[in-house]
Amino acid sequence: MTRGRTFVGALALLAVALAVYPLFGTGYGVRSMLQLFMWVALASSWNLISGLTGYVSFGHVAFFGAGAYTTGILVTGAGWPWPAAALAGGVAGAALALLIGVPCLRLKGPYFAIAMLGLNEVLRALVSYFEGLTGGGNGLSFPTRHATVPIYYAMAFTAAVVIGMTYLVITSRFGLRLMTIREDEVAAEAMGIDTFRHKLYAFLLSAVGPGIVGGLAARDQGYIEPMSVFPLATTITMIVMVLFGGKGTVWGPVLGAVLLFVFQEVVWSHFIYLHQLLFGAIIVAVVLLMPRGVLGLLQIRYRLPRTI
Amino acid sequence: MAMLEVRGVRKSFGGVTAVSDVSLALETGHIYGLIGPNGSGKTTLFNCITGLERPEAGTIVFEGQRIDGWKPHRVAQRGVGRTFQVIRVFPELTALENLMVVTRGPRAEAEARALELLRFVKLERLAGEYAGNLSYGQQKLVEFVRVLMTDPSLILLDEPAAGVNRTLLNDLLEAVGRLRDRGKTVLLVEHDMKVVMGLCETVFVLDHGEKIAEGAPGAIQADERVIEAYFGR
Repeated sequence: MTRGRTFVGALALLAVALAVYPLFGTGYGVRSMLQLFMWVALASSWNLISGLTGYVSFGHVAFFGAGAYTTGILVTGAGWPWPAAALAGGVAGAALALLIGVPCLRLKGPYFAIAMLGLNEVLRALVSYFEGLTGGGNGLSFPTRHATVPIYYAMAFTAAVVIGMTYLVITSRFGLRLMTIREDEVAAEAMGIDTFRHKLYAFLLSAVGPGIVGGLAARDQGYIEPMSVFPLATTITMIVMVLFGGKGTVWGPVLGAVLLFVFQEVVWSHFIYLHQLLFGAIIVAVVLLMPRGVLGLLQIRYRLPRTI
Repeated sequence: MAMLEVRGVRKSFGGVTAVSDVSLALETGHIYGLIGPNGSGKTTLFNCITGLERPEAGTIVFEGQRIDGWKPHRVAQRGVGRTFQVIRVFPELTALENLMVVTRGPRAEAEARALELLRFVKLERLAGEYAGNLSYGQQKLVEFVRVLMTDPSLILLDEPAAGVNRTLLNDLLEAVGRLRDRGKTVLLVEHDMKVVMGLCETVFVLDHGEKIAEGAPGAIQADERVIEAYFGR
């Protein structure tokens, strides 16, 4: 129990430090932290569907892009304030997940993964096609007023909510039922678990966070176009972060996001061309050497709960 | 009226007819055996009853309601529990969590019940261990008590005795007997004839997907068609 209390205390301290950071930090620092929060939210969201149920979503950036465009259209076209528009982006993510999940989650794992990969390409094409609404290939430009610090807080809050949601899910019997799908879907069904419905709920939950941070990131960057908000690389990064940190745990995706983000920033500034090569090497190394990720390894070795 | 009535069920895979017009009826509160040589269709029949396979023909009526064509989770929720021939515990969930997954309502109560069941199969000390780390026999026991967590009225056991040591086996068989005494109905597939003969009141025999005999264990053992199915003419 005392260990738990120390952990909560450390978290509270960290939260306070992050809350006052924009008062002291440089513009670059705040911007970097904001991006880190975004990756934490994205990786943790991906973990909710793929880490728990084992259904690998190769198109999760679709929800990010849907959120970005929803926010972009509402801000530039309808004059919404960006916080409300970003929340609408979360709703758009969930709505898209419902639309896609109902047919695709009936597919078995590998087919689902491929279908999700296709979804991303379809969305990118659609966004390019409906020029009147989305600006097509020209993209959408936001009003230029700076909002980095408010977006920093909004990003941090979203990341915290996604982590909190993950904690609640993983410690609940609903979370256990999601894991039974990963472990043995047939046995889960035979035990009376409506696996389709459970997958769908997890999928909806996993799409809200990316929708919101997509909207926030769009507002922060000030400009979006189809190629910039639907990159496959974003999905790959989410996946690598979760696998590296430890799928199916609360803090694994967070740890993976922090470590890989810092690594990327450092390597990016020093070896621009080596960066992708090293990133690829990490993927291979993780899959081969520790398929459970850092926390997964510790969890098995020291019998740690999934909440660590 | 029978609690489970299987009428004319047929299921084939490609050119192989796994189950061919099988009919059988189970009455509440009895233990039934389902035997037959390998490949005679026992597991396929289980799968048809529990919704994992959709029968091509025939009906399955459980407690007055047709359940053929239902999704497996619906059949399970309706009150049909089963274990598998090949162990299907959830390996990266603890033994306790394996039992907790299907429970609803107050968590403390469910946990107490799960621990009681684990104690019953002498696994309470391993409650926090990942099910995948348990021995084959222990996993088998986890699967057996897991099915009891949902309190089904009909329990289908696919080779419960295989791989379980003698002492535990006796406990397990005693448990099956007690389930019957509490008004549960049990249908079990088993190759161990001692188990079948000692426990079952009625035995159905399948061969090449067809039901070739049905009756009390003693009579079945003397049935010529059964002997032929097992040993050839």
